[in-house]
Amino acid sequence: MNKVSNEREPIASAPNSDIVMDNPIMAVKIYDVVVVGSGAGGGTLSAHLARAGVDVAVVEGGPKVNTRTDFNTHAMPFEFADRHIPTMKAGKPGYDSERTRGVGGKTMLWNAVAWRQSERDFKGKTFEGAGEDWPVGYKDMAPYYERIEREVGVCGNLDHLEDLPDGIFLPPVPMKCSDVLVQRGAAKLGLKVIHVRKSTLSRATRTRPACHFCGNCMAGCDVAAKYNSFDVHMSPALKTGKLEIFSNSIVREVVVSNENRVTGVRFLDRTTMKEGEVRGRSVVVACACVQSVALLMMSKSRLYPDGLGNSSGQLGKHFIPHMTGGVEAFMKPMIGKHLTADEGFLDHAYLPSFMHTRKRDYARSFGAQFGYQNRRSVGWARQLPGFGKDYKQSVKDRFPSYLVFSPYGEKIPDARNFVDLDYSQKDSFGLPLARRQVFWTENDMKIFHDMQNWSKEILLQAGAEILSVSDKPATNHELGGCRMGEDPKTSLLNAYCQSHDVKNLFVVDGSVFPSASEKNPTHTIMALAARTAEHIAGRLKKGEM
Amino acid sequence: MADRREALRIIGAIGTTCAFPFSSGELYGQHQHPPEGKQADAGKPQYFQPAEFAVISRIADLIIPPTDTPGAVAAGVPAYIDMVVHTNNQHQAVFKEGLAYVAAQAGGDFLGLSETRQIALLTPLSNAVDRGELKGPGEKFFRAMKSMTADGYYTSKAGMSVELGYKGGTVLSEYPSCDVPEH
Repeated sequence: MNKVSNEREPIASAPNSDIVMDNPIMAVKIYDVVVVGSGAGGGTLSAHLARAGVDVAVVEGGPKVNTRTDFNTHAMPFEFADRHIPTMKAGKPGYDSERTRGVGGKTMLWNAVAWRQSERDFKGKTFEGAGEDWPVGYKDMAPYYERIEREVGVCGNLDHLEDLPDGIFLPPVPMKCSDVLVQRGAAKLGLKVIHVRKSTLSRATRTRPACHFCGNCMAGCDVAAKYNSFDVHMSPALKTGKLEIFSNSIVREVVVSNENRVTGVRFLDRTTMKEGEVRGRSVVVACACVQSVALLMMSKSRLYPDGLGNSSGQLGKHFIPHMTGGVEAFMKPMIGKHLTADEGFLDHAYLPSFMHTRKRDYARSFGAQFGYQNRRSVGWARQLPGFGKDYKQSVKDRFPSYLVFSPYGEKIPDARNFVDLDYSQKDSFGLPLARRQVFWTENDMKIFHDMQNWSKEILLQAGAEILSVSDKPATNHELGGCRMGEDPKTSLLNAYCQSHDVKNLFVVDGSVFPSASEKNPTHTIMALAARTAEHIAGRLKKGEM
Repeated sequence: MADRREALRIIGAIGTTCAFPFSSGELYGQHQHPPEGKQADAGKPQYFQPAEFAVISRIADLIIPPTDTPGAVAAGVPAYIDMVVHTNNQHQAVFKEGLAYVAAQAGGDFLGLSETRQIALLTPLSNAVDRGELKGPGEKFFRAMKSMTADGYYTSKAGMSVELGYKGGTVLSEYPSCDVPEH
């Protein structure tokens, strides 16, 4: 390709090269597809496109991160004066703000839980009149879930549950002692606890080792046994010569022509603040839910004064993050027992949604993860009573038995929940900050109280000493704001994540979810990315872009 | 106004990362930004006067005493507390009033009291904190002292590795099996 600037080398695209060069300023080439973001959505999609022979440029706001050397995976708190373990090793940039994460996005730091959504999740409105139906159903998505499972390796058990479809799994990882106790407690209430399903290898593959249970998955897996989009998807795809990665390039605008076609993206170089542009025949926005919404809102034009592709006025609306809360407890049979090195792989079990089939006074449901904090979290020690020798002994005794039970509930779309831009607050790049407005509705609070009550009851049945119960909901897993749907008046994207307004604009990340379910969303985002990539490649082949 | 069971919340610009809704997930020190290379357990205290630092150190060792494993002082906890309080006005006020309260209760010389009397002075404060009563300067001070001592101790090498036996980052070829007895 052409030399792109006087000071910099062109982006690596030669076969057999894994090198990602930083900071081109103006790429002369016109790519088939420009993808903004390199996480679960952008990373998966770009690799699938490159393998299909499509010329792809990925524009990522953060630097290239080397999973093997750059994360503080094995650090201990006492290595740092403030006892806070920084995400990155000294001198290694990345993950320092929302808009500048790093190549691989949040897949570098995720916990890798991988669920297939069920038909009830996709068609919640049809089933019970609440939430929104997706424009795709389980049958549409199943082949793509399977493709992702075969590519990345998902471990889990075949549980034959209606609301949590099985997939193509590697063997599950054995449960922890605390999981076995929770499982027995739940069984007394007629509830099933299953092996967790994760995109972490329980068996080595040709190119990646199996998990070695070091226990700090969310600090960056330095052997890539846990999936991340760079090592598993993008790095191999670089060998096709079809994929180029522009790192440290913070996209501030998706450019639209007067002919209502997007023509590329404008970015700011993260280190020099210079402006740059990457041009393409189509653009896929995949920079994580809220930031995708923010980017589209910042992309104002004559055609779209209220944000790109927002003729419906729905952009940013119906923000539906998961609602969580939880219970801290000590598992009594483990108090004072020998400490086993069992934190590896973090959580090993899961309580799948069970309320759909039970009588309740609210819509939708919840599931629960538990035990995904590793033992570096010792802040609970301050909550034990007393002081002196007895206090010291009681902390030591409880250390092996500490458990956090974290239910996740579904928030039903509601116009009072939205994302907007706060132009009075700018980040260090001069871009307005995204603002999340979360409104807990009566239905939300009913789910919250019910999931807290069930959590307590399960733990008591499991023989737990409850330390604390969170008294208000918190959010996690950001979803919604740029939703898919059949109707262009109430949604922004069609069933292929394609803008209703601008035919060569796509969005693939958590923002496209019309309904959230209670399930961790990444596996579904990856399946959507595979499906959208196939659609885009097919249209390019037919000359339709 | 909305139904009282409903609530509006603005999460703000930085949003959610990993949901951990408990105070236990945060340590005081996490919000401090000591200068590069500055170790919590090195050098003279930056905030406390030597006499104050001696009282802080004594109380820390009463909260987590040396046993067959190191106590708070040996683990460098007083320097950690100094680092945390150094940059925080609210903590400074709590410690100032608290130290004055303790001195007054001890007739001017806390360190001059016997261990039994030192413990007897702190016990009602600890009991009140355990009941969730934080009315007076003594209770507020004791809660801060205990929380910071626990944070500092259990994140120190002595507390985390020696006392709790946590090794961290252990590479295992096989996942350890669980043998929880039936009950």
